[in-house]
Amino acid sequence: MTTYNFEPGSTEIVLAAGLRTPQMKAGGTFAEEDAGHLGSGLARELFARHGLDGSELDEVLIGCVGQPSTQANVARVIALRAGVPHRVPARTLARNCASGMEAVTSAVTAIQAGQGSAYLCGGVEVMSSYPLIMGKALTKMFARLSRTRSMPAALAVASSFRPSHLKPRIALLEGLNDPVAGMLMGETAELLAREFGIQREESDVYASRSHNRAQAARDAGVFEREVMPWLPLGAKDGASSRHHDDGIRDGQTPKALARMKPYFVKPDGTVTVGNSCGITDGATMLIVSTAQRAEELGLSPLARIRTTAWAGLDPRRMGLGPVFATHKALQRSGCRLSDFGAIEINEAFAAQVLSCEKAFASREFAQKELGANEAVGSIDPEKLNKNGGAIAIGHPVGATGARLLLTAAHELERSDCDMTLATLCIGGGQGGAVILERRAS
Amino acid sequence: MMDIAGLPMPDGAPAAGACVRLERPEPGLVVLVLDPPHRSLAVLDVPLVRDLSDALDELRLMPDLKGLVITGRTPLAFAAGADISVIEELRDARLASRLVLAVHSVFNQIEAFKKRGVRTVAAVGGPVPGGAFELSLACSRILLADDPKSRIGLPETKLGILPGWGGCHRLPRRIGVPAALDAILKGSLMPAKVAYRKGLVDRLTPPEYLVRVACEVAMGRTPCKRRERGIWRWLVDRNPLALAVIGNQVQKTIQRQTGGHYPAASMAAKMVTWAALTPLKKGTKREAEAVSQLGTGDVCKNLVRIFRMMDGSKKLGKRSDGSAPDPIQHGAVLGAGVMGGAIASSMADKGIATRLFDISPAGLDAALLQHRAELTTQLKRRRLEPHSHDAALDRLDVSAQMVGFGRTQFAIEAVAERMDIKHKVFSEFAKHVGPETILATNTSSLSVTEIASPIPNPERVVGVHFFNPVKKMPLVEVIRGEQTSDEAVTAGCAFALRLGKTPVVVADVAGFLVNRLLGPYLDEALRLYDGGVEPKRIEALAKKFGMPMGPLRLLDEVGLDIAAHAAESLNAAYGERMTPCKVIRPLLEAGHLGKKTGDGFYVHLSWTKKVSKNFSSDLRRLAPAHSAQEEFLTDQEVEDRMLMAMLAEAARCIEEKVVQSAADLDLATVFGMGFPPFRGGLLRWADELGAAEIIRRLEHCSTAISTGLDPERRKRFEVPEILRTMAEAGCGFHR
Repeated sequence: MTTYNFEPGSTEIVLAAGLRTPQMKAGGTFAEEDAGHLGSGLARELFARHGLDGSELDEVLIGCVGQPSTQANVARVIALRAGVPHRVPARTLARNCASGMEAVTSAVTAIQAGQGSAYLCGGVEVMSSYPLIMGKALTKMFARLSRTRSMPAALAVASSFRPSHLKPRIALLEGLNDPVAGMLMGETAELLAREFGIQREESDVYASRSHNRAQAARDAGVFEREVMPWLPLGAKDGASSRHHDDGIRDGQTPKALARMKPYFVKPDGTVTVGNSCGITDGATMLIVSTAQRAEELGLSPLARIRTTAWAGLDPRRMGLGPVFATHKALQRSGCRLSDFGAIEINEAFAAQVLSCEKAFASREFAQKELGANEAVGSIDPEKLNKNGGAIAIGHPVGATGARLLLTAAHELERSDCDMTLATLCIGGGQGGAVILERRAS
Repeated sequence: MMDIAGLPMPDGAPAAGACVRLERPEPGLVVLVLDPPHRSLAVLDVPLVRDLSDALDELRLMPDLKGLVITGRTPLAFAAGADISVIEELRDARLASRLVLAVHSVFNQIEAFKKRGVRTVAAVGGPVPGGAFELSLACSRILLADDPKSRIGLPETKLGILPGWGGCHRLPRRIGVPAALDAILKGSLMPAKVAYRKGLVDRLTPPEYLVRVACEVAMGRTPCKRRERGIWRWLVDRNPLALAVIGNQVQKTIQRQTGGHYPAASMAAKMVTWAALTPLKKGTKREAEAVSQLGTGDVCKNLVRIFRMMDGSKKLGKRSDGSAPDPIQHGAVLGAGVMGGAIASSMADKGIATRLFDISPAGLDAALLQHRAELTTQLKRRRLEPHSHDAALDRLDVSAQMVGFGRTQFAIEAVAERMDIKHKVFSEFAKHVGPETILATNTSSLSVTEIASPIPNPERVVGVHFFNPVKKMPLVEVIRGEQTSDEAVTAGCAFALRLGKTPVVVADVAGFLVNRLLGPYLDEALRLYDGGVEPKRIEALAKKFGMPMGPLRLLDEVGLDIAAHAAESLNAAYGERMTPCKVIRPLLEAGHLGKKTGDGFYVHLSWTKKVSKNFSSDLRRLAPAHSAQEEFLTDQEVEDRMLMAMLAEAARCIEEKVVQSAADLDLATVFGMGFPPFRGGLLRWADELGAAEIIRRLEHCSTAISTGLDPERRKRFEVPEILRTMAEAGCGFHR
């Protein structure tokens, strides 16, 4: 267990700059993108806009869950393609949905350990390109085939082929299954819904609010400062670059969402495709550095990183990760939930966010699960995911952790507050939380 | 012993025996190294051939010789082929023939070792063009260094000659007739992998192992099979029927593509087609005759001259002290129109990290899509490896805001052709970059001096004028404004060279050079049309002269609106003699702007890439000829109207010192407007005619034009003073 709390006077670590691509529904606009191209294009733009040179970095840390098979250690691919010099190392990090946040906390750890002072951190995920995998039987057959030495032997092996061998395994579905708990992510959300008594209607209301808020934020130009326009690979002649996330459904209503059928627990479940986050492609890049280094590089940091915390819990209730991680972050930092002007909780499922809200406010939960006397605190719904969340703008798993931090950092200024929180649940039963603080200007 | 009396010797030729080194690493093996002390890269000149012959004579007397390796000074420096400066000078066909036959006898000596059971191995690498490859072909095995620097082939036809040292006969024997035809007629130098795939060489090996492996092969310890053509040899290479069909087709294609102006191609094709059925001795002798005849002819001389001028233009990319400017890492293009987008894409192709700016996101998207589409095509055609494709993709970034340009070393603008816009964009851009960043303008009609004047540090502003389509047109005019520094001119030339173009430095005058010369040429074509000459005839005569396309098609390609705009600005700058013909006005008004609108002088069909031969059916209706008085001009007169108008303007350009030399002007006409290369350029052709003849023709044009109708038109045929001086002195534009 590692938790950091940096009081004034210790090395000040900042989010010096950040940018993201629009987040696009998988299989759609970004279907022909690859992580290396998407990530490096974004990194180059981030460097260019801030007059940075890759040689100023100490390391490149990129979160990615489903690395392309052609780009092992995709962080290195991104770094080199973005023009970062050979001598700067790079590594890819994976902590499921929090991989992008892991990149940032790893940079924080490295800075604290005195290993460096400037890092390119981020996350990239092209869920569209998750492959279909051929089954073991076919793999075995090919292996045997390659060992044969004569034509008759090869024919004998080939004759063992059955059409059923062609049935592929879907990497995306397998990735969303918890192998220890034996549950799909959606099923863990259903479990929470039952435990906390979350009704279908509540989930739908929450989901439509997420869409409405994202729509309003987009129309007000809130995303403009964090999103770079992107013309995806595979765009046809006459196509134009994308400026906005395409998962936002304008004018979404609970009534429309009510028509959808439960997906994971049929027929009586509460989790539908409509009140869950989408499968999405996208990338976010951040510069994490010491305040001093940021100044030397001529950057005006977005936020100071006050505290980071990771926590583990029962994989079957992974959706409660934010509660565990936030509790830990608050303890370490001495902050209270009410100190935050804005809170970003990743919306894996509406039922999961609502369960977290209840758990945050529950004294009983705090006593039983967190070993605390009092409830963690109640969340003002107006401060929660002010610009909508993953249900509307999507959840490119490896990138989301970094995206939450970028949004939370911008929210410091927009909401004119001193502190914001970014937290998310992680498949496999973990939670991550980072507290950001406004810098005295 | 070779008789070298009377053969051309290069300067500083060393004493006999100095050019070739024999090494004997083990008994029975000899490594013959081409190592002439007077050349940085060996050239098959007379001293080298003499020493090679002597060395082979010596080896013939070695009783225990088993293997012979012929190689260069280093694995990536073998030899450059024939001595081009000799080809340039040689006028005596008999001397040429002697020279060629001398080399033949040396190559035959090499081949004769085979019969004695000696394995001969050529271990080559780096550039292996022409004669160097023909030397290798005489050996029984060829090993090529597997390195990006290795390029091998027979480029002779590009210089108006043919592979005359056995190439036309030994190559088809090695790789078959169809492949040899392709290699010799295209004349391209192939990379190692391609050469191996096509069978030009027998084995690839890393340069570090080249000589070692060659020795192993020569001693028979490492097997190295020569690839056989098998059944195809009998079906094609030795089948008279197949050869007749192939030969016929090839000749037709050559005739269509060259209009019969390049005899080398068709002669080479004839030889290669029948190579396998001709005894080698007889064939090579015929080759020698052909090459000495071609090599002393005008076409060859002109093509070699152009090659030398092109080579010479590479010096423009270096400062006067010989140092080169820092290679550009970060470049910027302002304006994502057709030109800007294509320039940016070329820059990215050539390894420059490029940032393209335009206020319109749609323009940026289109440029990016175009860049990607071209790269995808190259990837599909296997001209690019996937990783190089990705890198070229990554090198083009776009921005709709003027941010992120801080690292730019070289920027080129291609925004709208309006002085206020140019000023605005450059002034704004100058705020984002350092004072040394070179600011180049791709203007074609505005004054570079004027563009530069309000910009901070105007000495770094230089004109770099590309032609459309950027990726195909090989010429770039580098324009020196009044304030432009030498450094900026050098940077502009280096930039053009980096993009694989040929730069010519031009003074800052209206239309610069190429457009200024095209102006009267195209306008004359229009006036002839207006005077009742059949458009078909105008086109045919221009093509017969050797122009790549007729003037009316050129107008269609350029766009009638753009051409009209250019003509007006020329008129404003040069007055009456550039008065534009009014005949295309109705076409402009009707929106028939040429290729881009699908209709101009020709019909252009959007669904096919084939160029249509049909003139637009609306042509005569929309733009009728005003008179028929020029309908009865002779072919010569029609041709003269167009070319003499251009030539007179070229003479004025020389008078005004728009370019440094007549050679520069020739280079610009060949690469900028496709003036027939076999004529060596506009002024080379003029010198061929002679000043007196030009004056006669100009005066004839002038008097033939009726005074009443076109008083201003006669001005363009006024004889420039320089021509009279030349006629009196009896000299030409070239020394």
